[in-house]
Amino acid sequence: MPKILIPTPLRQYTGKQDTVQVKGATIGEALSDLTTQHPDLRRNLFNEEGKLRSFVNVYLNDEDIRYLNKDATPVKDSDTVSIVPSIAGGSALETAAPAATLSKDEILRYSRHLIMPEVGMEGQLKLKSAKVLLIGTGGLGAPLGLYLAAAGVGRIGLVDFDVVDFTNLQRQVIHGTKDVGRKKLDSAADSMADINPFVQVDKHEVALTSENAFEIMRDYDIVVDGTDNFPTRYLVNDACVLLGKPNVYGSIFRFEGQATVFAYQGGPCYRCLYPEPPPPGLVPSCAEGGVLGILPGTIGLIQATETVKLILGIGEPLVGRLLLYDALGMRFRELKLRKNPDCPICGDHRTITELIDYNQFCGVPEQPPAPAPGLAEGEIDPTEVKAKIDRHEPFVLIDVREPHEYQIGHIPYAKLIPLGELPKRVNELNSADEIVAHCKSGMRSAKAVDFLKQAGFRKVKNMKGGILAWSDKVDPTVPKY
Amino acid sequence: MIKVASEPWREMVAHARSTYPNECCGAMLGKIDGDEKDVLIAMRLQNSSAGSQAARYELRPEDLLAADQEARRQGLDLIGIYHSHPDCGAYFSETDLKNSCPWYSFIVLSIQKGEFDHANSWLPNAEQTAAEKEELIYA
Repeated sequence: MPKILIPTPLRQYTGKQDTVQVKGATIGEALSDLTTQHPDLRRNLFNEEGKLRSFVNVYLNDEDIRYLNKDATPVKDSDTVSIVPSIAGGSALETAAPAATLSKDEILRYSRHLIMPEVGMEGQLKLKSAKVLLIGTGGLGAPLGLYLAAAGVGRIGLVDFDVVDFTNLQRQVIHGTKDVGRKKLDSAADSMADINPFVQVDKHEVALTSENAFEIMRDYDIVVDGTDNFPTRYLVNDACVLLGKPNVYGSIFRFEGQATVFAYQGGPCYRCLYPEPPPPGLVPSCAEGGVLGILPGTIGLIQATETVKLILGIGEPLVGRLLLYDALGMRFRELKLRKNPDCPICGDHRTITELIDYNQFCGVPEQPPAPAPGLAEGEIDPTEVKAKIDRHEPFVLIDVREPHEYQIGHIPYAKLIPLGELPKRVNELNSADEIVAHCKSGMRSAKAVDFLKQAGFRKVKNMKGGILAWSDKVDPTVPKY
Repeated sequence: MIKVASEPWREMVAHARSTYPNECCGAMLGKIDGDEKDVLIAMRLQNSSAGSQAARYELRPEDLLAADQEARRQGLDLIGIYHSHPDCGAYFSETDLKNSCPWYSFIVLSIQKGEFDHANSWLPNAEQTAAEKEELIYA
């Protein structure tokens, strides 16, 4: 007779026997004989409809009967039948349990979604149950926050610790002129609540770090990267891969943008595309290189579209494809992205198993050297430059900014020699003269001073704080930008 | 009441810390005397969940079968299943409940920022609609 092994907790129903001999030619008959011999087992193994409970698996020797002939699987006398529960779980709440209903007001609000079968009531409830984290509420975060709120994404987390300033308003349309000086989180949350009061906005007023990333990101289904720096991009990528959350990526520069979805269903991650960060300073930020104000709108809305598609489970996600957008040519191109089997975090042999120090990884100094309060060697204060001009002292003031910056505002006494032209125009300068260089804030002019010193100039000084400091200290009619 | 001896307890905590930020899972083998359960061996099992394991675990039935066979071999009982909840409490989640089995004790270890924080033992009902807390003692 075949025998059935009884799991420990069920032995109380078999008179403590750990093995029961049964009659029957099939699994179905054997189980039926088992519950005839020990009727108390029945409700433990079968539900009211007489079907095996969902957590019960039956094995014939080492094989799951679901992959044999199920109940009709034949059994021989020498066979051993095991009863094995299926067990799973996890801290996550069941994602398959979407929000229960939409109110009458919500149905009206989302009617243009509801009438499309691809979204419908089911999809709108998925959106309502979705939890999306936006890293940054700047250029990309602004359209993302507005449209995802409008679309009815139930819970939207925002990570930002910045304050709105006038230079943001050219593109960060979630903030208004009245918000200048306010926290971006407060300003963004107000705009989103105005567009859709049914949306819950979580404010995380911190810089995302290796220490807090897991804790912040864990609660969300999808992470949308709207950051503008490499350390945070690698941090978001690694945390997404380790937590198994899709990373909806976008980046912008001047007139060009990129977007893709990383770390989704076995697709590539950011490190597959860029294993190493660029050397610090090589890729200018938007603050340095500028950005067309509309560009983050286009890219941010591609990210928003992908986010909504992932939530709804419709269409073809932007996975394994890097979308490149060129605003000047008004062209989209697509590059194939492949998962790198040697990727240190999502490849076959993961070597990065925890979050690292991303500033160090990207070669960014932990703390940017704070500008010294006084004047350093070779620096001159704008007020002193003004005094020299007023005293008619002989010296040459060179402005090493670009011509389009010069047009925004300049010091009348200054001669324009853009930094890039300095090597070939150095002969316009006389090393016997005293020379002062300035730019916007003092960085480029410091490079100009270094260059001139190496070229043999002795009497060169850098105007500390650039034209911004000039505007503050000397002439407020010179606009800041 | 479920009592976990110091050796298996250390093993369970070490296992949970090693898989952080992902969930771990394993089997607990020991002796049962009425309502009193003594865990003597913690057996690491593989989390076979296909997607993210940060908030999910899945046991392969054949692994559980092997654990049960190992228990029989050593004259012990398969008492329960343990798993970890990285960066959240040791509650019995909806997911845990829906994929549980009323025959076993379920110990959940809360791992906060990579370190053990607290643990609870749960006894789910047959309908998978609720779980009762079981007194847990660990050394």
